[in-house]
Amino acid sequence: AGKAHRLSTEEREQLLPNLRAVGWNEVEGRDAIFKEFHFKDFNRAFGFMTRVALQAEKLDHHPEWFNVYNKVHITLSTHDCGGLSEQDINLASFIEQVAASLS
Amino acid sequence: MVSKLTHLQVELLEALLESGLTKETLIKALSEAEPYGLQSESQRAINALQAEKGEPCPDIPNLPNGMGESRLSEDETSDDGEEFTPPIMKELENLSPEEAAHQKAVVERLLQEDPWRVAKMVKSYLQQHNIPQREVVDTTGLNQSHLSQHLNKGTPMKTQKRAALYTWYVRKQREVAQQFTHAGQGILTDEPMGDDLPTKKGRRNRFKWGPASQQILFQAYERQKNPSKEEREALVEECNRAECIQRGVSPSQAQGLGSNLVTEVRVYNWFANRRKEEAFRHKLAMDTFSGPQPTSAPPLTPHNPSSLQPPPALSPSKVHGVRYNQQPTSEAESSSSNHPGNSSMVTTQTILHQVSPPGLEPSQNLLSTDTKLVSAAGGTLPPVSTLTALHSLEQSPHALSQQTQNLIMASLPGVMAIGAGESPSLAPAFTNTGASTLVIGLASTQPQSVPVINSMGSSLTTLQPVQFSQQLHPSYQQPLMQQVQSHINQSPFMATMAQIQNPHALYGPKSEVTQYTHTGLLPQTMVITDTANLSALTNLTPTKQAFTPDSETHTESGMHTPVSQAPTIHLQNQDTTIQHLQPGPRLTSSPAVSSSSLVLYQSSDSTNSHSQLLPSTHNVIETFISTQMASSTQ
Repeated sequence: AGKAHRLSTEEREQLLPNLRAVGWNEVEGRDAIFKEFHFKDFNRAFGFMTRVALQAEKLDHHPEWFNVYNKVHITLSTHDCGGLSEQDINLASFIEQVAASLS
Repeated sequence: MVSKLTHLQVELLEALLESGLTKETLIKALSEAEPYGLQSESQRAINALQAEKGEPCPDIPNLPNGMGESRLSEDETSDDGEEFTPPIMKELENLSPEEAAHQKAVVERLLQEDPWRVAKMVKSYLQQHNIPQREVVDTTGLNQSHLSQHLNKGTPMKTQKRAALYTWYVRKQREVAQQFTHAGQGILTDEPMGDDLPTKKGRRNRFKWGPASQQILFQAYERQKNPSKEEREALVEECNRAECIQRGVSPSQAQGLGSNLVTEVRVYNWFANRRKEEAFRHKLAMDTFSGPQPTSAPPLTPHNPSSLQPPPALSPSKVHGVRYNQQPTSEAESSSSNHPGNSSMVTTQTILHQVSPPGLEPSQNLLSTDTKLVSAAGGTLPPVSTLTALHSLEQSPHALSQQTQNLIMASLPGVMAIGAGESPSLAPAFTNTGASTLVIGLASTQPQSVPVINSMGSSLTTLQPVQFSQQLHPSYQQPLMQQVQSHINQSPFMATMAQIQNPHALYGPKSEVTQYTHTGLLPQTMVITDTANLSALTNLTPTKQAFTPDSETHTESGMHTPVSQAPTIHLQNQDTTIQHLQPGPRLTSSPAVSSSSLVLYQSSDSTNSHSQLLPSTHNVIETFISTQMASSTQ
């Protein structure tokens, strides 16, 4: 709840570079971050998604994502604040962690 | 450890675990919330879980590195694209903690049961699969004499030792099941090779003729004593098919018979031995003829060999049955009831071999022939395997004498020609009608009357392993209508029920209720598909149908077949059986339902509860018997 504030500029400058460094990009036309993930095959991809899903449920913050076979496109944004929030950052970090363990 | 999950399942499981779900929580959740019959799946999941997550469980949540990944990659490379297979097909499943626990649970359950009943179950399993006792002794470390006494006579056995026996039994069933399922694919696993766990000498068990095969061979022998190679090969096929059916296995899985697989060489040897036997018996007959006075005319001699080939004891018995048909069947009943244990053996043996001799015109001859043979005091032991086997039989006085006595008793209800006081167990039942001395000789518990044994010859040999339940009796004694009725009254089921209620009373005379229970470990793939043989199971059709729906829900786990209605049905079966069989051993074809009912009983767990034990086995036996009869008519 408290984490649903839209990130201020300072916070973005603080947090987003780390994510940009690993491949997250800001989406044009909306306040969101996006990344594509590739895995070896569907199993890995879906395993990854499962982990992310479980965490998303726990955080009560869900990604927008697309999956085709071994590719997963994830877009993170917070609906409540209409933009990026701390929740997106947290989830992105978790996603990175999981992706690293799977690839 | 290899799990049988798909990669995705593995992934998902790991994901679950990584999300903070503990193994215990997961397992608990699976066992508690088991909707939609997910039991087996959830158990496999648990199994896989345990296989996958044995140690690294605590590491998983903090798993940033490739630890899980390396395992994953292993799985992937080894299991890529592999389908999930049922546990029974996978040798390694046996090593999984779940399977070991399951086996232990089964053993525990058996230990709770009445030891005598379980012993009967184990014994009948040994007979059904023709497993030598030696194998059990080798793997369990039990004393062979003790084991034999426990299985045959119910001699008490300590719990620990019984546990060893039951453990062997459970493992053997699985092994045999695997053996048969892999039969079509070639032996994939090492363990079930040769019907034998790794023996000290690493050799297979000695081949042993099963009763089913012997029946077929005897019939063929009557037709022709010297079959050609083609005929022998045909017999090979027929015998293997019968043996498979006896074990409740599809005939296409004959390779699973292992060391008891019938080959042309064995058939050839069998015929050669029978011919030798016959020649020897002929020789003996000549000797006795020229020796002490026989009670019948010489011209009968020539008939001896041929008529003796099929178990002669039964032929005269059949004759007697005809002759003495008028004799009060109550005698049979009373005698039978006095020896519920014995009669079961008797009837079964009788039945089996009455099937063999199609014609019995020289019945008188047989009788007198046997008499002649009996009266001959001399006689050396013939060097024929069967006779040797007979003598080993004879050594166990209880077993043989009772068998032979029972044999005579059941088949010769009117002919109770036993010398008074020869055997206490027989005394009440038998009256001396002065008939066949054969009977007398057999009644004697002293194993010295060789000629008698000779005349019994192959019959006893073949009889020995054959211990069908008494249900067989009515179906086979065609001319003995009254006998049949009496035996129906005596109702093997009731007799065995009596046994069950007084198991300890049977430590002396024992009942040999064959329980060819098809164990639950047999995979579903082992359903008999040969409906031709199943067509013999007319009797079972109407009644078994009731079971099918129930069984279906259980076939998956292969356990706990509800057979509570079996007793009634069983009796009905008997009646129908008799009606069908009186005119002759012809069985009408039945619809495919019987095959499904067979499935039912093949799936039935061998560790049925008390109330279920007999009924299920009876039905199974009937199945078996009917099949036997059908095959005999082929």
